[in-house]
Amino acid sequence: MSSCFLDEETFCQCCQLFLQHSHSLCDGWSWEQVKGSEEGYLRKTALGTGRTRCNQDQQGTSSDQHQERTFSLSFHNDDDDEDDGAVCCIQEENSSSSVVQYEYHILYSCSYQTPVLYFRASTLEGRSLCLEEVWDSVHPNYRQRLQHRPWDTITQQEHPLLGQSFFVLHPCRTEEFMKPVLKAALEEHRQVNYIVTWLSVVGPVVGLDVPLSYCTQVPEPPHTPSSSPQPPSSSPQPPSSSPQPPSSSPQPPSSSPQPPSSSPQPPSSSPQPPSSSPQPPALGTKPG
Amino acid sequence: MSDNAESPTETQKDEPPTPQQPTEDSGTADEKKKIDVLLKAVGDTPIMKTKKWSVEKGRTVQSLSQFISRFLKMEANEQLFIYVNQSFSPSPDQEVGVLFECFGSDGKLVLHYCKSQAWG
Repeated sequence: MSSCFLDEETFCQCCQLFLQHSHSLCDGWSWEQVKGSEEGYLRKTALGTGRTRCNQDQQGTSSDQHQERTFSLSFHNDDDDEDDGAVCCIQEENSSSSVVQYEYHILYSCSYQTPVLYFRASTLEGRSLCLEEVWDSVHPNYRQRLQHRPWDTITQQEHPLLGQSFFVLHPCRTEEFMKPVLKAALEEHRQVNYIVTWLSVVGPVVGLDVPLSYCTQVPEPPHTPSSSPQPPSSSPQPPSSSPQPPSSSPQPPSSSPQPPSSSPQPPSSSPQPPSSSPQPPALGTKPG
Repeated sequence: MSDNAESPTETQKDEPPTPQQPTEDSGTADEKKKIDVLLKAVGDTPIMKTKKWSVEKGRTVQSLSQFISRFLKMEANEQLFIYVNQSFSPSPDQEVGVLFECFGSDGKLVLHYCKSQAWG
């Protein structure tokens, strides 16, 4: 259903609300505007842990490593390229847990109509982590699923705005894990902050912590006047200038509930459908 | 792993003690400080026969997630997602006791779960 997607304007609004709370927590997020453009993204750097290859004694380790830990499950069964099997195994002997510098970017994807998480990771010495190290560093809770299909989960791509190489958490199925929340919000006539919900799901995968207070303190973006925003069941209004007005929504009232989305899933490579009108405020309002 | 939904208190052979003791009656806090968790399936995710569990406060979301995944016999390509208040997903390292304090109501913490093939 189309309400699982996010239009760019709502994305920006959600980000700004998110940012306000980040400032109050000194959580480190900032908004980066692209020069000469309307586009921007959220950015944060943080230290975390990751598994990196030990470089001190052994340089350029051969990837044919001895130890395959039991949880590097399905590489060999699953993928066509045998090489991945060897390369992607957890290399007990030569990798260890170490401090990693992460830089996270939250961008809006027009193709997917969802936010996308880009990130970089490097050791404290400044060496960028390679893809396998990033895979190894994924939170154990998600490791099994990642190892089943790592190439579907985290890969390297060019940052759409900066043109540099970043790791990306694939957004194709964002709808799947957003849907339960958005559907419930729709049914209960409440809204959610898409960015907060989305980040609470994707962040921990790659070491990004989202403090619980985001989930209670960040308001939803202002909405169409057609449905007066119900007092959300779980988010009290924050003290900072809360833009949750009953009626001063900037969004043009696209009052039709769900446009029959004949193109439900934006295909990954096609240009976005015009987001200025057909998309309802993608956050579960049910007019009337 | 016990297949019997009615008596999941059997010690698991291959994993540390998992949330156990279905409480049909309201769980009283014993010295281990447990909280009641109510698990609700979302969408076409299988429903657990036993929905109410007594879980130690110090248990992490990840541990609970693993438990549910095994209980549901999930495939390797599936990922379990857990939601609080049907509005966000708690971090896997979060303790259920903390979630209960913040989001519990009527003496229990309601968690919705959904399995999916996310990510890519």
